[in-house]
Amino acid sequence: MKSFFTLLLVALLGLSCSKEPAITDDMLDSGKLFDPSLYKPEQYLISKAIPNPTPEQAARPVIIACHGYSATTFEWDEFRTYLAGRSDVYLSQVLLGGHGRSYADFKQATWRDWQAAITTEYEALVKAGYTNVSLLMSSTSGPLLLELIASNYFSGRTAPRNLLLVDPIIVPSAKSLSLVGVLGPVLGYIDTDQPAVEDRVYYHFRPQETLQQLETLLNIVRKDLEKGIMLPTGTLLKVYKSKQDPVADPVSAVLIYEGVKNAAGQATDVQLINSKLHVYTRLRLRSDVTMADQQNQTATFADIVNRALR
Amino acid sequence: MCFSIHTLFHRGRLYHRLLLTATVLSCFAALPARAQERPAGAVLDLGIRAQKTVGLYTENGITAQFAHTKLVNQRLYIGVTYVTSRLGTALNSNAIKQDNYLASVLYLFRPNWLVRPLVRLNAGYFRADYGSDLFRDLPQTSLLASPEIGVCVCPRFPLKLNASVGYNLLTGDGVNGPGTLYPVFVQTSLTWNVLHKSTR
Repeated sequence: MKSFFTLLLVALLGLSCSKEPAITDDMLDSGKLFDPSLYKPEQYLISKAIPNPTPEQAARPVIIACHGYSATTFEWDEFRTYLAGRSDVYLSQVLLGGHGRSYADFKQATWRDWQAAITTEYEALVKAGYTNVSLLMSSTSGPLLLELIASNYFSGRTAPRNLLLVDPIIVPSAKSLSLVGVLGPVLGYIDTDQPAVEDRVYYHFRPQETLQQLETLLNIVRKDLEKGIMLPTGTLLKVYKSKQDPVADPVSAVLIYEGVKNAAGQATDVQLINSKLHVYTRLRLRSDVTMADQQNQTATFADIVNRALR
Repeated sequence: MCFSIHTLFHRGRLYHRLLLTATVLSCFAALPARAQERPAGAVLDLGIRAQKTVGLYTENGITAQFAHTKLVNQRLYIGVTYVTSRLGTALNSNAIKQDNYLASVLYLFRPNWLVRPLVRLNAGYFRADYGSDLFRDLPQTSLLASPEIGVCVCPRFPLKLNASVGYNLLTGDGVNGPGTLYPVFVQTSLTWNVLHKSTR
């Protein structure tokens, strides 16, 4: 019997000792490829590009666009292309903390680190004098923003005009995330099956530590939504959600609709999109893009700009 | 990357629940064996069930189970259960209101022990209420299928305490199935045999 328990202990130890992921130089994880916003922040952040705006520039709408878990600023590059040549609205592409660097940097970062990049740019813009700021958040950036509102971050600060959430995640489609607290340390990391071309702009390997951070964030925000979140006065929220989403369960939109009210007590604006893509506004590098996908992207970009210009 | 066994379990949120459950069961096991004597006729246990989905809602409701001496010598119970978030997390909150209707077959091992291991197979129907017509295109219903393993504490008086861990074989995945149907749940139910007749 004693030997049986010894064997069991050895087996469990073996299971719990995960190998390091097989990272290649072609992956963002390698630490040899970095998000371009780290090299040239002035090309991505309005606070760096125009740190001392004229009164006219300061009154112009600025859209802070932020990506999801394991992604980079790449996620909103098509929106930047869409806005090219326009001078009536600015786009500031923010890289989440811990992202766009090496696997080790990603592994060490907490959801608070991810979130800090959003507030850093927001505060820099407000400090520089920008008065019309909207926030465009995809996937995990959605709950990061909702947590800021629930914790009264905007209380005493200039409130954002629009909060625009594209495929926000509150409930993951992969329900196994709920077991990451127990299974994560055994697995060590998750190996994704994304196409190789995406490995340069999305982490290929997801450390279990970051999945635990994601799970923690989602639980906090879900409970905040259960209690109710009130938007700052003058702020409007719109949710764009794919009807079929293999990453962020569409029921996330239901939870936000039920849980968030504006300052007048009115419900959130939710638009369900006929799409099977997660973050359907990013089409570049996808292999099976349809005409309907392109129409969804263009229509959403147009709606976002219209809202920012109101 | 290497983790000790202690770290492995300590990081899990189930750790504390498992510890608590083990402690409670140890206390029961330490009691003198005063197991329920099997009644001569039928058993109809009625009671309440509290259920917590790992990573999501608490759902509470009612349960009933029936056994008979002619049914595998009262080791086999057939039952029905209704649990809902309306009596749990969704009570006075914005959580989604959802209902679980279950029919189950339960088998008790070690019928003379105070603490009896059990296995249960559930099948049923799940329905979520998303409130607004906006979400009519999203999946809101599903069949349920789940095995459970656990223990039944059956003292001499007609009270039973069931505790078990279950696994939903059908869950939502963002494309099919309701999004708030999660895999792992733990449940506790407390029942009373309403057909019990005192023999002393």
